[in-house]
Amino acid sequence: MATTMLHKHRVSVLFSFGRSLYRRINVSQGEFGLQQKCSAYSRPINTLSASEAVAEIKNMPDESRPMPAKKPISKAMKAYLLQAKNYDEFMKKQNTEFQIGRRHLANIMSMDADTMTQEDIDQAIEFLFPSGLYEPRARPMMKSPELIFPPKKAAEFDESGRPYHSLFYTMNPNFYGLLQEAVTEYVNLNKEEDNMIRKRISFNSDMKIILSGSDWLSQEKLSNLLIEQIDDAQYEQFKNVMLRLAEHPLSNKVKDFIMKYRYSLVNEAALAEIPKPSYEKDGRAYVTFKGARRKNAYADVTVHMPGTGKFLINDCDIEYFQDIQSREQVIC
Amino acid sequence: MSGMSSLTKLISTLARVSDTKLVLLNHSNVQIISSAKMSQYPKYFIDPTFRNDELNAMYETGEVKEKALVPCRAALTEHTSSEFYSSFTRKFINHVMRKGNKQLAREIVEKAFEVIKKTQIQKFHSLPPEKKVDFAIRDPHELFHQAIINVKPIMVLTPIKRGGVRYQVPVPVDDVQATILAYKWFIEASKDKERTVRFYNKLAKEIMDAANNTGRVVKKKLDLHKQCEANRAYAHYRWN
Repeated sequence: MATTMLHKHRVSVLFSFGRSLYRRINVSQGEFGLQQKCSAYSRPINTLSASEAVAEIKNMPDESRPMPAKKPISKAMKAYLLQAKNYDEFMKKQNTEFQIGRRHLANIMSMDADTMTQEDIDQAIEFLFPSGLYEPRARPMMKSPELIFPPKKAAEFDESGRPYHSLFYTMNPNFYGLLQEAVTEYVNLNKEEDNMIRKRISFNSDMKIILSGSDWLSQEKLSNLLIEQIDDAQYEQFKNVMLRLAEHPLSNKVKDFIMKYRYSLVNEAALAEIPKPSYEKDGRAYVTFKGARRKNAYADVTVHMPGTGKFLINDCDIEYFQDIQSREQVIC
Repeated sequence: MSGMSSLTKLISTLARVSDTKLVLLNHSNVQIISSAKMSQYPKYFIDPTFRNDELNAMYETGEVKEKALVPCRAALTEHTSSEFYSSFTRKFINHVMRKGNKQLAREIVEKAFEVIKKTQIQKFHSLPPEKKVDFAIRDPHELFHQAIINVKPIMVLTPIKRGGVRYQVPVPVDDVQATILAYKWFIEASKDKERTVRFYNKLAKEIMDAANNTGRVVKKKLDLHKQCEANRAYAHYRWN
């Protein structure tokens, strides 16, 4: 196999590190030297695959042209990386302290440390450190450090300064990423809508999300969720974009995405407390609710099902109330 | 009639620059928020629907699904789905009430309505048979509603201080405020009577007169409008 004469040759090779980068490498001239060095390589470089070419050039000892020295990390970068490291260490320490404290508290209150919930901890602290302060946030509290200390983003760029998030240079990558996601969902919904129209499938109101009973997260809560400062204009933009998405006739398909940024106005716990009926001898079901209150009035109410329409108030009929308005309240 | 035209001119200029509130009711995604200002409830709590016909309408249009999980204020004890319920009258009863005696206030107003009905029936039977066909015995609630419409002022005089002097400046008045004024005038007029005359009798008379656009209370409104017209030179003091 004849050794190829590599003359003054300019080789362009495609590298790919995450993002595509083009590098032009000037292979040195001097055939003889090259011949010696490249004796092992009998094929011309332009027929090699990219990865093979990369391996070649990496392994090629090119003493005549020194490799560019590794860029030193700037001081700002160093400081940033140090800050991120310190924060991680700090949180770790706080976490261990919290866990130890939990065990101590369980010991004091003779509770089981493993099954102790945050509610139990709050109750215990309220018992041990009673406070007369009005502001709940000023009272003594013992919570997991993630809840107390404001969350910080993990390192946003690597050692060479290249950011991980594609929208990093918007300064609010999470926020604009969220908006982009919303728009992507909207485009997908539009495509689905087109498909449905083509197939002549009818639309019904069940396909649209119902936003009543919930409201958008406040500006503050959204900022905490995205770990970025959201200003008024951005918040308005967020609401407009999400509302536009929610008003799409097929918005129920992206319900999970939308409800992430909404909080419920309803006290769901109260809804779940439905009392179970007891049964009388003749099989009629009844429910007794004790402690129905209005101002200083107090009532125990028993409702039978199936009912006769008759009622007794303290063993009297409607005549128990002399005022017409009170009587109307009972019937209507 | 020239007085009327200048009055209408005044009204139109005021209306053009008035700052009346627009309450937008949007049924799509915005919830109907109650407008009570000093309320124990947060703003997003909606008013309750307690009338059967409104409730049925909500089921038909499907509005129930939207409103089902929205937190709701408690209904007042006056809010009933009774046949005898009238939202106008219940507000008026509240204004008539003194010292929290709702029972008495309601009795008075209902007696007044009874008197209205009786006088109408008397009038009807005293008419010759040809005229009986044209005469319509109207529901006292309906008559009262008409009376309120006739008595409500469009603008009132407010004292505004300019340069150390208080001027009586004509100013457009809110619908709710106008209704409250009308209630107040009715009660004042009914109180101004001889010792032996009963309040409910006087009130009945005033309501019937006002429904016909005559009588004391309507005169009071017209006098106020005349004064507003007379003071129209000061109208610009409203905005300095």
